[in-house]
Amino acid sequence: MSKLLSPAGAKVLFMGNEAIARGALEAGISVAAGYPGTPSSEVIERLAGVAQERKLYVEWSVNEKVALEVAAAASFAGLRSICVMKQNGVNVASDFLLHLTASGTRGGLVLVTCEDPGALSSVNEGESRYFARMLEIPLLEPSNFQEAKDLTKWAFELSEAIGNVVMLRSVTRMSHASGNVICGKLPVKTREAKFDYDGSVMDSQTGPMISTPVVAKHALHQKKLKDVEALFEKSPFNKYVGPAKPQLLIITSSACFLYASEALSMLNLQKRVGILNLSCTLPLPPKLLKKYLRLTNKIMIVEEVLPFLEETVKVLAAGMFAQIGGKTFYGKIDETLPSFGELNPDIVAGALTKIFKIKRKSLPVAYTKELQKAAAIVPAREMTFCAGCPHRASFWNISNAIALDGREGFVCGDIGCYAMAALFPATGYYTTPTLHSMGSGTGLASGFAKLDVFGMNKPILAVCGDSTFYHAVIPALINAQHNRADITFVVMDNAGTAMTGFQPHPGLPTSALKEVVPAVEIAAICKAIGAKVIISDPFDLAATSKILTTFMAEKGSVKVLILRQACALSPEKKGKKIFDVKVNEDLCMGDSCGCNRLCTRIFRCPALTWDRIKKKAAVDEVICAGCGVCYSICPQKAITKTEAASK
Amino acid sequence: MTIPVKKFISQKILKKEVLESGLCTGCGACVGLCPYQVIYHDRTVQLHACDLENGKCYDYCPRTSTDLNKLRNLLFDAGDMSPEIGAMKGYYFSRATNPQLRENVQHGGTVTALMELALLEGLIDSAIISSPDREFGQSGLVVKDKVELRKNAGSKFTVSPTVAVFNQLEGTKDAGNIGVVATACQALALAKMKLKSVKEDRGKIDQLKLVIGLYCGWAFAAQKFNDLMGQNDIALESISGMDIPAGKNSLEIYTATGTKSFPLSDMQECIRNACHYCLDSTAEYADISVGAARFGDNWEEMRHWNQMIVRTQKGRDLIDLAIKRGVLEVKEAPTESLLQLKKAAVEKKKAALQNIIRKSGSAKNLLYLDCHDPVVQMFLAKQISNKKSR
Ligand SMILES: Cc1cc2nc3c(=O)[nH]c(=O)nc-3n(C[C@H](O)[C@H](O)[C@H](O)COP(=O)(O)OP(=O)(O)OC[C@H]3O[C@@H](n4cnc5c(N)ncnc54)[C@H](O)[C@@H]3O)c2cc1C
Ligand code: SF4
Ligand code: SF4
Ligand code: SF4
Ligand code: SF4
Repeated sequence: MSKLLSPAGAKVLFMGNEAIARGALEAGISVAAGYPGTPSSEVIERLAGVAQERKLYVEWSVNEKVALEVAAAASFAGLRSICVMKQNGVNVASDFLLHLTASGTRGGLVLVTCEDPGALSSVNEGESRYFARMLEIPLLEPSNFQEAKDLTKWAFELSEAIGNVVMLRSVTRMSHASGNVICGKLPVKTREAKFDYDGSVMDSQTGPMISTPVVAKHALHQKKLKDVEALFEKSPFNKYVGPAKPQLLIITSSACFLYASEALSMLNLQKRVGILNLSCTLPLPPKLLKKYLRLTNKIMIVEEVLPFLEETVKVLAAGMFAQIGGKTFYGKIDETLPSFGELNPDIVAGALTKIFKIKRKSLPVAYTKELQKAAAIVPAREMTFCAGCPHRASFWNISNAIALDGREGFVCGDIGCYAMAALFPATGYYTTPTLHSMGSGTGLASGFAKLDVFGMNKPILAVCGDSTFYHAVIPALINAQHNRADITFVVMDNAGTAMTGFQPHPGLPTSALKEVVPAVEIAAICKAIGAKVIISDPFDLAATSKILTTFMAEKGSVKVLILRQACALSPEKKGKKIFDVKVNEDLCMGDSCGCNRLCTRIFRCPALTWDRIKKKAAVDEVICAGCGVCYSICPQKAITKTEAASK
Repeated sequence: MTIPVKKFISQKILKKEVLESGLCTGCGACVGLCPYQVIYHDRTVQLHACDLENGKCYDYCPRTSTDLNKLRNLLFDAGDMSPEIGAMKGYYFSRATNPQLRENVQHGGTVTALMELALLEGLIDSAIISSPDREFGQSGLVVKDKVELRKNAGSKFTVSPTVAVFNQLEGTKDAGNIGVVATACQALALAKMKLKSVKEDRGKIDQLKLVIGLYCGWAFAAQKFNDLMGQNDIALESISGMDIPAGKNSLEIYTATGTKSFPLSDMQECIRNACHYCLDSTAEYADISVGAARFGDNWEEMRHWNQMIVRTQKGRDLIDLAIKRGVLEVKEAPTESLLQLKKAAVEKKKAALQNIIRKSGSAKNLLYLDCHDPVVQMFLAKQISNKKSR
């Protein structure tokens, strides 16, 4: 049995995302939808795992906007539903979200956004808390694992109480860390899907689900938000810890509560500083705030990433000036804390030492020395594609084809593992100078291709992965084809949403629930819009480069090359080598003129190593995935390949 | 602290001095040595960055600096040297004796007959010639028998990266000894290998036993030539040959459906840029150099003859053998022909020097040439005095 189904009262070690999933189960959800994205993916994955037992419908949707639409349909039919995504996903969903908050919801609908301060696995550290403010919906931010579960459960009640979406925000350190959670009851579900729409247009529970009459509904929406404010005033999820008369009040939320608590104990300041830990951060309850702001004149706000909470607190404090008097605020706006990157206890402690003008006990000299010694021997690891990664071969082909073409063509990059080509230029062999949101590579290419009349005479390429293709590329591709944008579009089809853990996508015949479902073929879609389509294996270097050079030279509109090769880490490939490869040291030219370490200096599969003493290349058998591509690039045929026995 | 020395990265300098300066002849000497340079549609392309110093690519390229004096001393007898056409042990008119062999050749078939002989006699085991390539226009080809040799006879005036094929062959055991048919720039590249070859490659380059040079006025850039043919509805596959008949000032293209003639002035556009900077019209660094006889009034007769310059002892021995075996008809060429040849050679040298100076902006900077080289100096002096007298 999945630990997600543990009985009431059981104490279970849950990772943050599992706690959220358990909370949703305790709330009795029927539907869960999302699009994979680190650090959010486990919520949907875990729910899919118990779908049968809990009678859930769970899906990986084509993108976040559609996921929210799927979840909203359940809500309209009176069911509880959860919709899960990472911060970037909220941008994608925002168009629908804007209208949804205006029409309102019925069954509890919780939008979970798992965010990535420090951009540990994202190309931005954007925040969606501002969406909550802009769209005037309640925002909840759990600061421990128990709370993650409890708040999620409560969020559904709240959503139903106000007839609108509730946003629950987690961060990497909450979603991916683990802690003990005491489980509540799993309800016996009784709800049936039923969608009434013949009531009054002003009644979102019985009337049509639309945003009009806009002004009247907006006023109603704001009135309900006032009710939420009242609920938050009394919410047990907002807590104060610390002395009755603190010298400094820290106002914080989410994982930052942990950083702040640890910083206080590092500096032994627990008796001098109080922490107001808010889990209901929007709308901020003014009475509660007034009570604690009165405790002291020095206030520090600790949050990630932007001064969202700080701004809200300051606005309220300004309004209460007559009652609470002037305060000194420390936070991001005065640069006591950085408004970029992740926080940690050290950063918070650093800020506290400045405010209190105290010195931190420095580390023992011997320890620092040891640390430095260790740092020196830690091998520098570069970010790169895995051994046997098809993207390496794909970019090798693209880079060579661009060079052969000779017009300095370039690639518009996109989001997926292959974004690495733009993030670390040597990894993409210096082909990919742009990287933005999902699908934007193709849109950019469509635009670049029209600049030929202004003198840009170079081939324009775009890449995307299979999952990204469905997510956001199709409109851009249609745009390119329709507007006769001459682009070479490469789909790096590695048979799954590899970057986030092989979730299925519409191109695969399986669903989140492991059912057999119709696969929607990329090639068929491209052909249907009138593009020229060729499928190739990126490991076949000669054939693939040739298609690319031909595509680039050919005048026309959209030319699609689908490079099909499963991810080296994919379940069907993992641990299985196609080839055993070895370096024949007698043939290896090493770093002498004639090769100059092509394999380890330029191609750089992490399984290829350079023996500094022998001055020969070598294959690290443990890391090698046995793709055999290095065999094809070695000018000396010094890398040999034989069919792997373990195949 | 060590003072950082500015590294002389061969590939980078080659790119700057040759590729980006429009001096690349497309000879292929820097190609096939390593994975970094390739030829694509007669363009030399650098695929990835190499950071070595003293690399072969730079050393072998005929458009990087060369100690020509040293090269002449290495290859030729001092007494044979002439400033206009290089070393000369003998100067003849010739043609292949076998009329069958002559059917497919450019002029007299001297080149094909000599290569055939060298293969037959075991002087060489592989011959590298040039062959039309569907995708690349022209490329080098290794042949080991006369059928292939004859099939690929005749001149194609587009650039051929012939030396790349030599690079890929050298050192392979089954290639054995190698003979190459080379235009002037290709012959220079092959000669530079002998001068500059690194120790471990010396054995390989010793496999190169024979270089038969082709006279060369210029070559066409493949893309421009192909485009022109396209505009005139001439399918590239249908071209069976081409020549510049004496006295006509036009290029004739022979196809199955007849001959098309293009005024040479129209063809100027198609000439590879690099050829304007080349001083060598007789492949001065070969063992034997062969061109059209192009002498007297009777072109229809003379077009089936070659003129040739024998430059080395090796070349001399091969001609003697050819006469002995009866494969070549050889006759002394008239002195006027030699004078004509030298005059044309001087014209090319002067024009090229002028172009070089125009590009570099100074007579002191002759790009790949050394302004102190005695031969260069001679034509440089002429140029400057010409200018003054004008
Ligand atoms: C680009 C070029 C320019 C030339 N310019 C002149 C000139 O200005 N004046 C002059 O007298 N002669 C010139 N020639 C030489 C002439 O065309 C004949 O090749 C020469 O007279 C030998 O004739 P043949 O009958 O002995 O040749 P063949 O027996 O027909 O043999 C010709 C050989 O040349 C090789 N070849 C063909 N095309 C090329 C190429 N593009 N690059 C390298 N090798 C090739 C063939 O593979 C063959 O082996 C030029 C040749 C070329 C290729
Ligand atoms: S076969 Fe070569 S390229 Fe493939 S994983 Fe092994 S070492 Fe890397
Ligand atoms: S590419 Fe081949 S020859 Fe070059 S270093 Fe690697 S194994 Fe050796
Ligand atoms: S020939 Fe040598 S120096 Fe030149 S690019 Fe190749 S390996 Fe580098
Ligand atoms: S002239 Fe020959 S060796 Fe020099 S860059 Fe061009 S192809 Fe390479």
